[in-house]
This record gives sequence, structure tokens and C-alpha cells, in this order.
Amino acid sequence: MITLTSYAIVSMIIFSLGAIGVIARRNIFVIYMSIELMLNGINLFLVTFARYHFNMDAQVITILVIAIAAAEAAIFLSVIILLFRSKKSLDTDVFTILKQGGK
Amino acid sequence: MTDFMFLALSSLAIAGGAAMLFYRNPMYSALGLLISILAVAGLFALLSATFLFMVQIIVYAGAIMTLILFILMFLNIQDDNLPEEPNKTKFIAFTAVLMLPINILIIKAVSNLPDADLSIVENSDFGSIKAVGLLLYRNWIVSFELISILLLVALIGAVVLVKKRKKRGTEV
Repeated sequence: MITLTSYAIVSMIIFSLGAIGVIARRNIFVIYMSIELMLNGINLFLVTFARYHFNMDAQVITILVIAIAAAEAAIFLSVIILLFRSKKSLDTDVFTILKQGGK
Repeated sequence: MTDFMFLALSSLAIAGGAAMLFYRNPMYSALGLLISILAVAGLFALLSATFLFMVQIIVYAGAIMTLILFILMFLNIQDDNLPEEPNKTKFIAFTAVLMLPINILIIKAVSNLPDADLSIVENSDFGSIKAVGLLLYRNWIVSFELISILLLVALIGAVVLVKKRKKRGTEV
């Protein structure tokens, strides 16, 4: 039998995988994808509660979150292109110096 | 049947997320994320959010993932561009332990809520494009307008960031 708790467990596991990726990995692409995964976990939680309360406000919030994720994708990926052009690396440790023309 | 679908979709979602976390090559990570996103879309359908199911597939799997894969191929990433992560598994295990308390807290809080029927709604307007759209344009119109401004700003920002610029000063 599927209950609210099983959906909560799934969405919290997805969210935690995203958070672990942001903290533990050093590849900037994987960090970006982990942020997307965290947003997905929270979306699943919101939709679960929309069904639980039989109220669609949470689904509207989910649409807004997806729109924000799209905006974030555009900015984040262009920043990744800029960083990769100047440093030829995806390592977050290389990007500690953000000064233009720095070493 | 619904139970089986739930089990299959949730294990796919978790497996995709774990694959994203553990692969070294970002291309495999992106494919893992794609599997996870599609499985979450299926879970939306199980929760009778039909419009969100379509939005998730079109916007996430269709637009954002295509953008990510396109950028990955465009950058032509070689193996020596990737960071060395010698202690990756150790870091992941440590962070998983760190994340455990908040998970236990939230799942305990949710399991105390009264049980309700979460089966698929039939013969109802719940989650359809018309009902969600009416709600979006009536009660959430301010947030909708703000989001549209945010998308415009992100569009301009992305174009301004990536365009070729003249070098300033003598220093390269």
C-alpha cells in the first residue's frame, strides 16, 4: 500500500542525493545537475502534498519552480562556458580565483 | 498495479540519481539525471498531476537536459579536464551520514500525519491543464509575472555573459 510516508521517503532520498552531490563532488557540471535533482525532490514532495490535501496550489508552485530551474539553467550553463573557456577545467578548486586575468 | 508502478518508478529515480552521483564522466551523469527526471515525471502521473507530468517531460527532459547535453558536447571535455577526486567515495559516505538527521526528522514528522487515500483520481478536473491554469492566472498572477521578468533577465544575462568581449587594459 502506498502511503504519504513512502512518497516522502522517495523524495527525501532524491533530495539527499542532490545535496550530497553538491557537497561531495568537485566537478562543476555534476554540482549543477545535483541542484536540478534537489529541485526535483522538492517538486515531488509538493505534488504529493497537493494530492494529499486535494488542493492544486502546490502544483502551481511546482510550475513556478520548474520555470526558475529553466532560468537557472541558462545562467549556470553560460557561466560554465565562460569558466571552461578561461581555465580549460571543470574543477571547482580552480575557480577560487575569479579575478579577470588572474593566474 | 499502482504499487508495482510506484516501486519501479521510485527505484528508477533513486538509481538514476545515484548513477549521476558516482560516475566520473559528466555525460553518464547527465544520462543518469535524465532517467531520474523521467521517473519523477511518472510519479507525478501516479499522483494525478497530469499537466505537471507533461510539463516535467517537455521542460526538464526536453529543454533543460537537451541544453545540458548540448553544452557538454560543445565544450569537448577531455579526460584531463575533469577534476581528480581521489577521496570521492569517502566524501560521499561522510556527507550521507551528515544528511541522515534531517531525513529522519522529516520522515518522522510526515509519518505522524493522518493517512489519506493517494490513489489516482478518476473523472475529476484535479491536476488538469484547465484547473491548474485557472488557478495560476487567478490566484498566482503576481508570481507568474515576476517569473516572466526573471526569465527575461536570465535570457539577457546569458547572452551578455557568453558574448565575446574586448580585452580591458594591457594585462591579458
